[in-house]
Amino acid sequence: MIAQLDLIERATLIAPNSVFLPWTNRVGRWFCWMVGVILLGWMCHNLDLRLDVLIRGFTKLGVLTKAMFPPVANGAELKILQSLLVTFAMAVSGTTLGIMVALPLGIIGAKNVIRNSAIHFVIRRTLDILRGVPVLVWALVMISAFGLGPIAGVIALALADFPHLAKQFAEAIENSDAKPSQGILASGGNRLEAMRLGLLPQVVPVMASQSLYTLESNFRHAAILGVVGAGGIGFELEERIRIFAFDQVAWIVVAYVMSVTLLDWISSQMRSRLV
Amino acid sequence: MSKSADQPTHLDRSSLSLEQIVEHFEADRSRALRRGRLVQLLQVLVITGLLGGAFQASGLFSSYLGDGAIGRIANFLSRLLPDLQPGRLFEDRTTSGSLMYWLYDLDLWLKLLAETVQIAVVATVFGAILALPLSFLAARNLTPAVWIYWTVRRTSELVRTLPDIIVALILVAAFGLGPIPGVIALTLGTTASLTKLFAEANEAADMHQLEALQSAGGNWWQQLRFGLIPQVLPNLASYSLLRLEINVGGAAALGIVGAGGIGVELSRAITFTEFDTYFALLLLIVGLIFVLDLTSEAIRDRLIGADKTA
Amino acid sequence: MIQIKQLSPLAAPYVAQVSHKPRKNYKPPIQRGDVSGRLMLELVNVTKKYGQAIAVNGVSLSIPAGSMVAVLGRSGAGKSTLLRMINRMAEPTSGEVLWQGKSVLQLRGSALRAWRARCGMMFQQFNLSPRLDVLTNVLVGSVSRRPTLQTLIKYFPPHERARAVLELHALDMADLALQRAGTLSGGQQQRVAIARTMMQLPDLVLADEPIASLDPANAETVMSALSSISRERGITVLVNLHSLEIARAYCPRIIGMAKGKVVFDGSPEQLDAAMVEKIYGRRKSAELALAPAVSTALSSIPTGEVA
Repeated sequence: MIAQLDLIERATLIAPNSVFLPWTNRVGRWFCWMVGVILLGWMCHNLDLRLDVLIRGFTKLGVLTKAMFPPVANGAELKILQSLLVTFAMAVSGTTLGIMVALPLGIIGAKNVIRNSAIHFVIRRTLDILRGVPVLVWALVMISAFGLGPIAGVIALALADFPHLAKQFAEAIENSDAKPSQGILASGGNRLEAMRLGLLPQVVPVMASQSLYTLESNFRHAAILGVVGAGGIGFELEERIRIFAFDQVAWIVVAYVMSVTLLDWISSQMRSRLV
Repeated sequence: MSKSADQPTHLDRSSLSLEQIVEHFEADRSRALRRGRLVQLLQVLVITGLLGGAFQASGLFSSYLGDGAIGRIANFLSRLLPDLQPGRLFEDRTTSGSLMYWLYDLDLWLKLLAETVQIAVVATVFGAILALPLSFLAARNLTPAVWIYWTVRRTSELVRTLPDIIVALILVAAFGLGPIPGVIALTLGTTASLTKLFAEANEAADMHQLEALQSAGGNWWQQLRFGLIPQVLPNLASYSLLRLEINVGGAAALGIVGAGGIGVELSRAITFTEFDTYFALLLLIVGLIFVLDLTSEAIRDRLIGADKTA
Repeated sequence: MIQIKQLSPLAAPYVAQVSHKPRKNYKPPIQRGDVSGRLMLELVNVTKKYGQAIAVNGVSLSIPAGSMVAVLGRSGAGKSTLLRMINRMAEPTSGEVLWQGKSVLQLRGSALRAWRARCGMMFQQFNLSPRLDVLTNVLVGSVSRRPTLQTLIKYFPPHERARAVLELHALDMADLALQRAGTLSGGQQQRVAIARTMMQLPDLVLADEPIASLDPANAETVMSALSSISRERGITVLVNLHSLEIARAYCPRIIGMAKGKVVFDGSPEQLDAAMVEKIYGRRKSAELALAPAVSTALSSIPTGEVA
């Protein structure tokens, strides 16, 4: 004890702030943690996240899960596979449409193509705002405009995609290395050649990779959109959940998960060859 | 193609003149170019075929589009816009044409917006807390056994393929309407997604710092706490904030199937074809996400600029 | 004389008397002879194989407490592996490692951690946590003796913090205590690493090429700190070095390794040119030459415009 006190005494002469942290530091840190925990607790209470509710719900979930085995399709296999294909088609069409809109916007929105910072700011902010709209929200609008069916889904997907894609394309162009283009200009090429030979080889693989990734996530979104009626597998799923036919639900989910995994795998193979 | 035509011929270069070397090189190069062009043509054909099929299957070019669709869109857009009259903008909610008439349930909507945010926050926090230990198991350099690594990785990928909505629908059947199914569904998705992201950050960490702690006699937890966490914490926080943004959008969307928050009002507005209300709600959601985006970007910049000690 | 608790029994009798004024220089050493034989490190026929490759081949050494030993050799001669086998960061394939007559190879769990704490290891890349501040980095040295829960919330009691401050002060780093370790220069970081090692209250310091990444001035600072540690605190220091001059200057005993075997073990005076060649091998006489065919081909390419 004496020795410890002696150490403390000597050290305090040298660097007092290190031996005893100023109380502001310690209290500050504890305070932040306390506030965080209390806030979290309050939110849980607001959302009615109580233990008894959770237990009751999970037991009921257990019952439902038992009803899911074995997964059967009751003769609707072909129909479900067909709607999976439609879902995939929706995803592809939506992605393509989104790319077609996003490409020019991305090029314009890149800081090194259009150097006017006012235009740049306006374009990027607009894209940011549009990015915030969840795809389901677009889908509801499109269904009201175009009726039920996959078209609403395709356009909703395109609308939800193009702000993301435009921003990613613009960033890919901005992040590209200026040196190849400068090299071409320095050896006598014009600006178009500089773009074609210097810029394009850098950004096209990245953009293709991002588009494939968007396709992957669009396949998931397309399934979701079906729930609100935009066609595809979500529609089948929602029907069966509503009538509590959970074994069929399980079959559809399994088929869906397998197709998503397949698509993801193919897409990642292609993407690894690109970049 | 025979083998000799495929590969560049191997030459004994010391016996050739310079011209012959160049000739051989040019021949090899044009052969490679031709093959490359053929492959590219094939790829273009395949993709065009796929796209054509996709457009056909989704009915994009069917009669729907031609048949007065523009008119329908225009009509629809006009119904979206509220009926605001400049003279009466600031009257009370019973007067048609005022702002309050348009936003007639604003206090309820704001409360629901707050609920949506809370759903997202709770789901993100619990998801991150669950993802942290899982990410240690899912990181190749930290996992105790290879089979654990594969199990955790594959399971989280599997969970990630499940769309939130489907999970939420099933949970609504179990828990009833309200925010709880939304929270659980989002927590599940968040855990799966953050496990992968955290694990990737962990794998990129410098193991030497953990080694230093091991050689000082620290146990595994101390190695993680002082060796790993200081390195990856900014990344983890950044990923969590990104996930929070996504979850806010997700919480709003899940409300459409009854899982609480502003989505419930959204679905109600569409059901009663109150398009101007729908538009108002849309503006609120977009505004919320925009504000959230800005704040989270600011926080993330500070994290990466990192005056953050762990 | 102040009885300082928590210092290893080895060091306690030899610590110089302290005054209450902060010291600037280490005082001259208290001369010690070889301590009783049981306080020593012994390696008995230690071998380490990675599959077919033999990293360390039947090394037997006995190192008395308080010595400062340099281990010289080329890269790949087995120096690092040898050091790592002492604190069990690598496991010997065969052989024995004894400290005070007892084997360390059987230790497990908290006993192993306690042993590792008593072997302070230093690394070429310092291995600090750059985002943590210097003081926390030094305090990390004490984790083996603190309860886990306290360390996880970064609570270190004042006397540990005081010890950390004093160690930093002895190396002239106390004013940088609350700075982030990543902002320091290489020499400063290695000195923080020394403080961290000292915080472990070691009986043994294993320094794995501590000065290889440092410029000569910082290298001298680090080596003299290690030398002081060995002299004044009675700690056994093993240093892996590349530089013969530095080994000669600081270490009374030199061990030379080549291809996993010990080829020299003695004082710097006994290290003659033949021995040096045995350790480092003969250097290649000429630089790489271009193959004749290619060089003539290069000279025959016409310069100027190509048609």
